[in-house]
Amino acid sequence: MTAWFLLLPLLIPFGGVPLTLALRKRRRVQSALALGLMLTSLAFTIGLLRTVLTTDLPVTVRMGSWLPPFGITLTADPLGVFMVLMSQIVLSAGLIYSLGSTEKVVQYPTFYPLFLALATGLTGAFLTGDLFNLFVFAEIIVISGAVLTAIADDTYGVEAAYKYFYISTLASVLFLLGIGSLYVAHGTLNLADLADRIASNPSAPLTMAGMAFLTATFLIKSAAFPFHFWQPDFHAAAPTPVSAMLSSLVVKVGVYGFLRMTTLLFVEGAELLKTLLIIVGVAGVIYGGFGAAGTHNVKRMLAYSTLAQIGFILVGIGWGTPLSLAAALVFTFNHALVKAAMLMLAGAMASRAPVKSAAFDVVVGVGKNSPAAGILFLLGGMALAGIPPLNGFISKLMIFWSGVEAAQYVPLLIIGIASILTLTYVIRSFVKIWFEPNPKAKEKAGDHLLAPALLIALSLLIGIWAEPLVSFSQITAAWLGDPAFYIAAILR
Amino acid sequence: MNLLTSLAIGVLFAAGIYQILRRNLIRAAIGLVLLSNAVNLFLFNVGAYNGTEAAYTTALSQISDPLPQALVLTAIVISAGGFAFVLSLLYVISTRYKTSDSDEVKGLKN
Repeated sequence: MTAWFLLLPLLIPFGGVPLTLALRKRRRVQSALALGLMLTSLAFTIGLLRTVLTTDLPVTVRMGSWLPPFGITLTADPLGVFMVLMSQIVLSAGLIYSLGSTEKVVQYPTFYPLFLALATGLTGAFLTGDLFNLFVFAEIIVISGAVLTAIADDTYGVEAAYKYFYISTLASVLFLLGIGSLYVAHGTLNLADLADRIASNPSAPLTMAGMAFLTATFLIKSAAFPFHFWQPDFHAAAPTPVSAMLSSLVVKVGVYGFLRMTTLLFVEGAELLKTLLIIVGVAGVIYGGFGAAGTHNVKRMLAYSTLAQIGFILVGIGWGTPLSLAAALVFTFNHALVKAAMLMLAGAMASRAPVKSAAFDVVVGVGKNSPAAGILFLLGGMALAGIPPLNGFISKLMIFWSGVEAAQYVPLLIIGIASILTLTYVIRSFVKIWFEPNPKAKEKAGDHLLAPALLIALSLLIGIWAEPLVSFSQITAAWLGDPAFYIAAILR
Repeated sequence: MNLLTSLAIGVLFAAGIYQILRRNLIRAAIGLVLLSNAVNLFLFNVGAYNGTEAAYTTALSQISDPLPQALVLTAIVISAGGFAFVLSLLYVISTRYKTSDSDEVKGLKN
């Protein structure tokens, strides 16, 4: 029975792809079905979460009954469940937004099938226990994300999709090289088995090369500085419901990869990688902050902000203490909720603008007719900047606290100062959209605000009652600190 | 034979990297295909080991490992699909921007 809790969150969106494609002539049924499937999948994920937390063991399913390390195992340990839960909450909100969206792209017959394919890729990437399987799911994410952007209303969507796909193909070449190197060195691709063999023979030839290739891959996937150059273009040109997913969830695949690399695969030799992550993260926080403050488009601003926020998460992973890992996880979860909500609000404002665009000189003053969206945007901005009582405060508090505990004062000081930039750009965009007068702005029906309102409400709830999320992330961090237990549980 | 295949893979990589750095979008796409073929050959050679023991460390005699071949098969399918998508994007870009020079495709800059 527990096996179904693991399989269904993956199989439901996967089965939904052909099902919604078959219903492409009946738009209403198709969209309702997609949302229904996503919510069912979310319900099973919550069941999976309960199972993992009560039994205190990872749930594993051996595909075709092949014993690990020979077959592919699907594995749900607390980290995987954590990421899947985050993805499916945000994906459900994304589908709710699509239902109320005025963009032409949601009328496209393959929009919902592609969206469900994106959901399949994300769920699978976090639940698989096999390195090559992770590559396959990452490719599903890349292809569905790129196609969803290429069909955007924005005429530059194709250009953005080409840029992204080009860079991601390079990332998958690097990923395959890493997989090949590790396979030559250790003769296995099962994550648990690989971790076991790397620990027993860390100096095997090509291990370092494999680690370097995987690092490059995940840096591109998480769009960390200096691999971010395609990310603002891509996230700004994508259709709003899709860009909310890309900027909040798809970059987290890279974060997940780094968590697995530092806490499972290369525990002994991870010092170099961790130092690199701190440097890259700090650089991302500074560069993303200035980039966001200097841009001329709300969606681009939020994309640069993602670069900065990923920087915070990478710094947390780089410090590598149980507290900083828990902080990175809380940050990951909160950022996904808030960034998706903010991008949806930016898109909703763009849909109400005279010309459909998120550039500041077009959306200026558009917010005058929708004060509710203004309140939501302000709350989301406060969460991004880390002001109580929103969830962003909890994440920043944990990151800074863990930095003090790890005695890493230099990076702590830099990211502390750079995080003030968040406040600047959020306030600037808020004032521009809601307070500057614009005679051209007229009352106009736009995208529905239910989905961002739900996400902001959840952020507020987490900000006020953070206990469940914080304790769950601490349990996860405790698991990450004990890879031997994970390995034994998978290979037993 | 080992030296020859590794040299061939190296040359393919070099050609692929040279091509993807060019400004012409079509040449860059061809570079992508060369690169993915190079990496597929690399994976393939991971399994065909010419040592006293196969890459699979528990095997006793000299055998080819079937797993990398399965991996290559999957990777080929993915890269073929990806290349078709790149070409279709290039078609749209070249009709929309009337150029194949990557410096001229800069609509997102403004």
